Amino acid sequence: MIKRVEVNYRGIFQKTLGKYIGGDIVQIASRMGKVAFSNGRYSDSPERNGIPCKYFAFVSPDLSEEELEAECGAKLDIDEADVSVVVDDTMVKGVEPWGWHGVRAINEKLREKGCLLVTSQHSHDQLLTFIPKQPFSWRLATVEGPASLAGLWVYKDDLTRERVLGALAAVDPGIISIEAVESYLLEKTKDKHRAEAARASYDATLRNMRVVKAGEGAEWHHEIPRLPTWKEFESGGVVVPAVPRGFTMGPRGQSRNERFLRGTTKSHRPVVRFDLCIKCTLCWYDCPDECFDPTDDGLYDVNYEVCVGCHKCAEVCPVPECIVMVDELKFDNNDSPWEHHKRDPQGYIKWAEEKKGLERIHYPHVTGTGMEIREGKFVPPKPDKGGPAAGAKA
Amino acid sequence: MATQLPVIDYEKIKKVHDAPLEEFYTSGHRTCQGCESAMVMRDFAKAAGPRTVVTGATGCMYVANTSYLTTPWIVPWMHTQLGAGGSSAVGMAAGLRALMRKGRIPKEKINVINFSGDLGAGDMGIGGISGALQTDYDLLVIMYDNESAANTDIQATGSTTYGAQTTFTPPGSKHRIMQRRWKKNVAAMLAVGHPTCRYVATASATFPALDFMNKTRKALSIGGPTFIHTFDPCPKGWDFHPRYAHELGELGVKSGIFPLYEIIDGQVVYTYDARQKGRIPVREYLEKQGRFAHLIDEDVDYIQSMVDTMWNEWDIPGVAPFKAGLSVAG
Ligand SMILES: Cc1ncc(C[n+]2csc(CCOP(=O)(O)OP(=O)(O)O)c2C)c(N)n1
Ligand code: SF4
Ligand code: SF4
Ligand code: SF4
Ligand SMILES: [Mg+2]
Repeated sequence: MIKRVEVNYRGIFQKTLGKYIGGDIVQIASRMGKVAFSNGRYSDSPERNGIPCKYFAFVSPDLSEEELEAECGAKLDIDEADVSVVVDDTMVKGVEPWGWHGVRAINEKLREKGCLLVTSQHSHDQLLTFIPKQPFSWRLATVEGPASLAGLWVYKDDLTRERVLGALAAVDPGIISIEAVESYLLEKTKDKHRAEAARASYDATLRNMRVVKAGEGAEWHHEIPRLPTWKEFESGGVVVPAVPRGFTMGPRGQSRNERFLRGTTKSHRPVVRFDLCIKCTLCWYDCPDECFDPTDDGLYDVNYEVCVGCHKCAEVCPVPECIVMVDELKFDNNDSPWEHHKRDPQGYIKWAEEKKGLERIHYPHVTGTGMEIREGKFVPPKPDKGGPAAGAKA
Repeated sequence: MATQLPVIDYEKIKKVHDAPLEEFYTSGHRTCQGCESAMVMRDFAKAAGPRTVVTGATGCMYVANTSYLTTPWIVPWMHTQLGAGGSSAVGMAAGLRALMRKGRIPKEKINVINFSGDLGAGDMGIGGISGALQTDYDLLVIMYDNESAANTDIQATGSTTYGAQTTFTPPGSKHRIMQRRWKKNVAAMLAVGHPTCRYVATASATFPALDFMNKTRKALSIGGPTFIHTFDPCPKGWDFHPRYAHELGELGVKSGIFPLYEIIDGQVVYTYDARQKGRIPVREYLEKQGRFAHLIDEDVDYIQSMVDTMWNEWDIPGVAPFKAGLSVAG
């Protein structure tokens, strides 16, 4: 028998976390007398910031090391997972790794009765508005908290790792037991509060685990593109069609690489208050992913299908509260915000402010050195401009 | 000192509102969030326009722009081997010239641009680029410098800043500084060694605004082989939040650690004159990057002193590391 765990994480920001969790599972399972090993998905390398990646851990109570490796080693992906861990909840909207084309469902590999274990501050029901339904029942559990993000050279020691291990023991004790998790952490770190964090997370997960019935969950619209196999490659070189040239003013006016949009890279998206915009061009000028579509009225529409959520536009915009980054899970479509603004300027301001809320996430320069929530403020539409937007309130 | 600035006849973009709106390197690439090297691709393609062919050496800008048989390029581009940037540009320019001579394609100006990383251009490919700069073909080689072999997960190169942590130079308890080499000044080296090359420049993609796009246009207009070295903050390898990618470029220029200049027909023109505008302390640039988190005051002082020397004592500040003029051996 083999138990398979996959850890879905954001490239680089969570690489160390993903690797540690995979490694911990192996060590804990080994201490329990099982055979285990872990590896990363080869095609994710080299990882880029934000891109969805995977780490795997395999555990077997009865196979030999060779048998287990023959069964699970060197694969592009696993066929099914007993537990899919997700350490950034915005990945529930779908993931689009590069060597594994198309937008894929986060529970694509989950087997019947398997468990999707998500670190999140959102409720199960909220998450289920994004996670596609399955023909069988499965389980959903959350580890409460924000996504733990760090940089390439740093590991952010905020107990996410310990809490995920505790939760894993709760959702599938056949992989690792909570007692083994505790003794491993105690022995390894001589630090009681790490074991306690794992136990507290174990208890909380037992309480919050929810069975998701067959057919419960979101509709899924993303097709899986068929990829040419190696036999179809021409010898001597590969000819890839360029993106056709095309530009007109307005939303979706620029031709783009439709086969790899990769908007699933983002954890946050920029919300723009068009009424505050001074038309300086900087968001458009500085966006490394060519996401802004210039419009006839001098504004810049955002194409959320391709935005990767780098926060750069929000940083360079000179007008306070004009571009604010908002949790990606607050949105259920990629519609043009500029069209919304044109259609209904007042309604748009209301909508934008509702999405923005009052919390502004602030990241210090060096990744993994913390995150701060600051209070934003509502900037009323300019009264002197009059116009239809003038009366709007948040 | 020359007072007359060299004149290049080119289509200058005067204000940001006049920058071309159309993209020739478009959305749908797998570069990191906040990748400034991607900005370099976007901007040179925009500045060069549709009649352009591009060759790109292996590295992030090749790999991240070919996600399983797709590409964000609109202009034609071709992958070439790591280190082969210069020769691939020569080959492409020679091919186009031959096709035009034989009448197979109409005679017109087609821009030939190669991009290569700091490893691909400044270390491995320097010979090929040197060769290209001695030809009479119209071509532009852009060295996009993210200060590491980034695509293979951040190994030190000859262009990595002193003291930086990379996969090859992890700080340890015995040796804090493992990257002990001073950054190569590739643009200056190529300019000094190739006096017939009419245009060599350094640039940062987004600061000052339009600077890089206009430099690209100058390089493509002046004729003959040309070279631009760009300074590209890399959120992954330098370890900073992608949000600050523009700011890091600006700080690098303003601290004077990356001098911005053009060498046009042998004349040095400072784009951002750190001597006159004043330099901010390099500390302000260094402290915002995780790759320098292990540095202590002494290291920062050393880097500052090297930058000071470069601006205050070199005969041609930021360009040529010679001091105190000429002396004659007796
Ligand atoms: C001859 C050769 N050696 C090694 C490699 C492996 N390799 C691929 S990309 C790369 C790094 C290139 O670094 P750089 O030119 O700075 O570009 P970057 O990845 O930083 O964008 C290396 C070493 C290769 N492709 N070819
Ligand atoms: S966050 Fe802003 S700058 Fe970054 S990709 Fe999205 S639109 Fe572009
Ligand atoms: S950066 Fe801000 S003010 Fe400038 S054009 Fe963009 S939204 Fe408008
Ligand atoms: S590693 Fe650096 S250069 Fe490479 S894609 Fe990421 S940010 Fe860009
Ligand atoms: Mg490089």
